[in-house]
Amino acid sequence: MESSSSTSASIAQKTWELENNIVDMEATPPSQSIDSIYYYDEAAQTKFQKDKPWTNDPHYFKRVRISALALLKMVVHARSGGTIEVMGLMQGKTDGDAIIVMDAFALPVEGTETRVNAQADAYEYMVDYSQTNKQAGRLENVVGWYHSHPGYGCWLSGIDVSTQMLNQQFQEPFLAVVIDPTRTVSAGKVEIGAFRTYPDGYKPPDDPVSEYQTIPLNKIEDFGVHCRQYYSLDITYFKSALDCRLLDLLWNKYWVNTLSSSPLLGNRDYVAGQISDLAEKLEQAENQLHTRLGSIIMPAQRKKEEDSPLAKISRDSSKITVEQVHGLMSQVIKDVLFNSVHHSITNATRAETTGPEPMVET
Amino acid sequence: MASASTSSSSSGLTFKLHPLVILNISDHYTRVKSQSLTVHVSSSSNGAAAPPPPPRIFGCVIGVQKGRTVEIFNSFELLYDDSTNSFDRLFLEKKQELYKKVFPNFYILGWYSTGTDAQESDMQIHKALMDINESPVYVLLNPAINHTHKDLPVTIYESELHVIDGIPQLMFVRSSYNIETVEAERISVDHVAHLKPSDGGSAATQLAAHLTGIHSAIKMLNSRIKVLQYYLLSMRTGDIPYENSLVRQVSSLLRRLPAIESGKFQDDFLMEYNDTLLVTYLAMITNCSSAMNELVNKFNTAYDRHIRRGGRTAFI
Repeated sequence: MESSSSTSASIAQKTWELENNIVDMEATPPSQSIDSIYYYDEAAQTKFQKDKPWTNDPHYFKRVRISALALLKMVVHARSGGTIEVMGLMQGKTDGDAIIVMDAFALPVEGTETRVNAQADAYEYMVDYSQTNKQAGRLENVVGWYHSHPGYGCWLSGIDVSTQMLNQQFQEPFLAVVIDPTRTVSAGKVEIGAFRTYPDGYKPPDDPVSEYQTIPLNKIEDFGVHCRQYYSLDITYFKSALDCRLLDLLWNKYWVNTLSSSPLLGNRDYVAGQISDLAEKLEQAENQLHTRLGSIIMPAQRKKEEDSPLAKISRDSSKITVEQVHGLMSQVIKDVLFNSVHHSITNATRAETTGPEPMVET
Repeated sequence: MASASTSSSSSGLTFKLHPLVILNISDHYTRVKSQSLTVHVSSSSNGAAAPPPPPRIFGCVIGVQKGRTVEIFNSFELLYDDSTNSFDRLFLEKKQELYKKVFPNFYILGWYSTGTDAQESDMQIHKALMDINESPVYVLLNPAINHTHKDLPVTIYESELHVIDGIPQLMFVRSSYNIETVEAERISVDHVAHLKPSDGGSAATQLAAHLTGIHSAIKMLNSRIKVLQYYLLSMRTGDIPYENSLVRQVSSLLRRLPAIESGKFQDDFLMEYNDTLLVTYLAMITNCSSAMNELVNKFNTAYDRHIRRGGRTAFI
């Protein structure tokens, strides 16, 4: 049974890797080559630091590779903050146009619900931590920072942009990662974004804004003003051979958690907030509509530069509904599985005295 | 081996281990291994020496102890001092102080290392930690990849004082543990374990992923129940000796079903159900009005041309 489920999982993984052009490091059989990414080549890194290939091209870094460990550390830390923003730093290296994040650590920074900023003692902490880490064999330097946006999506706010810009001037290569722990739990997948800012005064090519995002009404202005000052990088993940094996085995231990967790319960506040936010947006859209209907002569002039606000709202509402329905589905399945067995139990106990097949419930 | 016994512990502590710790140890090991391997290859390019055995790594596990439950949340690396056969104390204190600032609730619970089994010398390290935590735990990860094993190669040891030949001796005893995850941790482990697409894809693929997750969990549950059933059957036929305590456990497990059966739960469940339906309904209305709005817009656009050609009146 286990083997059949694992083969189907591996087939699914293979198809996904094919579809997404994953450069499969695990395809090369000897285990050493998989883990070669874990080797830190100081000379090459120093040379890279000296060459500074990123100074000529503001779009130089295009990809981010995050280790399983770093992802897990960041998500867990972000979630532990609850509705408070937390931040930390990432350690890693560079490889061509990719930034590789090997590890991450938290910073003792007091954030608020909407902003987080590192102070002097945090810098001291950072230096202390990196030094002890170097002694313990973690040779990589700091390559970026991460912080959380609980509940309002992965993008850079005005403060984040200026922080990142400052760091990119003095600490290149530097990367900003944003994680939304609330949406991660709600959607059942990791909500993460990696960003770099353009230098001051750089006019980005007028390509479409990267990916559509749901942003609460009170943040839209902040998002809109700054969204052209940075670009997002593609994120891929990697893990070592030992990680692979351990993660496979881990499933044998924690499958119970899949059944015992309920996204509906943990996310009530978030969902309620989303719905009230949608209601506000709807109201705004309605007002717009009124003014537009008043001047009916020129409705076509407002050429659709992008989707109408109403279409956006409907997309947001579909998203939250899909998540809700998923949560409900698992609840219903669990109810059927664990609560509606009363009759079959009585049958089973009766059968136990006579038949050879007790407790068969499907 | 005197110090490593295979008997299970009787302290009654429950251990909860987070996947982050396991990945952290694994990463530490892989990192040290690849670093030492490459150094070795470059230094011994002329001589054909056998590769050195992978080095043992050491670190500290931190977490929370509440009553009889020990929850291991995180870990960090430690330096091993060969001369004294113990940890670099200054380094440990420094690290502890650093972690205290970020995770004020976490305390040092014990230490971790790699290897196949607990060794004689480990007891010394273990004893050295006792002034920080009076009964430290020892998490051992076996890094050798063995595909026949179906269990996690992680063991947790506790120390117990036993009197052997009139001399009290500390011994390692194995403890059982559970894997514990918080929701966000579970999602990210799923994410990296199955390399899910990070953008989520369309609603259909999301649904498929969700249902597949539940399906495989239920399949696992089913297989476990089958094992139990098989066990009971062979006990009845007499292939296996009858074991009262196990049968009692099985029986109490079955007693638990149905899990919740009360009017209150039914009410709540129904409310939850209806809430979700309502949300769906609202989303549908929004979708409809959006489509309607689009239609009106298109109609007006089409109609404008008619005006110029001398067409009909406006539709509002």
